[in-house]
Amino acid sequence: MIDHAAIRGILPHRHPILLVDTVLEWHPFDRIVTTKAVSGSEPCYAGMAEGLGRSAYSYPKTLLIESFGQSGAVLWLESIRTRGESLDGTLIFAAARNVEFHRPVHPGDTVRHELKIDQLVGANAFLSGRSLVGDEPVMTVGEAIAVIRPNGPAAQEA
Amino acid sequence: MPETPATRPRRRAAPLAAVDGVTLVGDTEVTAVKAVHAADPYLDGHYPEFTIYPGVFIMESVNQAVDEFVARRFGAGRIADLTTVKSVRFTTPVLPGDTLQVSCTILADGDALAVNASCRNSAGATAAKLRLSYGVVDGGGR
Repeated sequence: MIDHAAIRGILPHRHPILLVDTVLEWHPFDRIVTTKAVSGSEPCYAGMAEGLGRSAYSYPKTLLIESFGQSGAVLWLESIRTRGESLDGTLIFAAARNVEFHRPVHPGDTVRHELKIDQLVGANAFLSGRSLVGDEPVMTVGEAIAVIRPNGPAAQEA
Repeated sequence: MPETPATRPRRRAAPLAAVDGVTLVGDTEVTAVKAVHAADPYLDGHYPEFTIYPGVFIMESVNQAVDEFVARRFGAGRIADLTTVKSVRFTTPVLPGDTLQVSCTILADGDALAVNASCRNSAGATAAKLRLSYGVVDGGGR
């Protein structure tokens, strides 16, 4: 298991957009299982109107995708490191296809991301997987593409 | 001060106010702008050494533009619920100081919306292209 302290050593993201809490399982260049606990104290719940119903507190799907993508980044970056190599550039989220949402996520839920590397082509990683709360699917990701971009702010993105 | 999407209390959870202003153009188009600031919520962690508006926040800007379309066309108690990301590509970075320009075409079939969005940075370069599906659902209304 990779704990939160170790995750901070792997990902460049920091509070409050570091959206992976723990790694339960990982197999280099193959697959990873991570968790992200959702809390009502997160910044996405600030500034909301009073008197709203349950659906208003659904965890933003954009942050769910970001959490999934960061899980893929942990898998790829840690895999590279086990080979004794380091990344020459920054990992960015370049594209995705066929991402479907099945059930909302609410404060108190812990999301488990299960994803795998389908293909590595040069500086591109093709990922797919699903996210669950308990046994219930919340999101399936048909394909997500992460890319290593050369360093330097002009070359960065997303 | 007039209420804008950026200043009014949120009617749903969101990482940030991702649109400053939204304009409906006819029945099927909506445009929005978002001036990106390094002090925007979440951006101090993305990343500490240099700030970039995350790709998923570009998607959030589109979500909020579509949500405003739904509030005006379908009623204030209804929200746009993202059901499928058919495809998204992020091609050019959006940085602090940039004003993101969002342009969406929206095809409604009952309560199902098919959205094609194109986003540009201040220089006019395409930052992202998105094909998204939404359902119009009852919001968190009172």
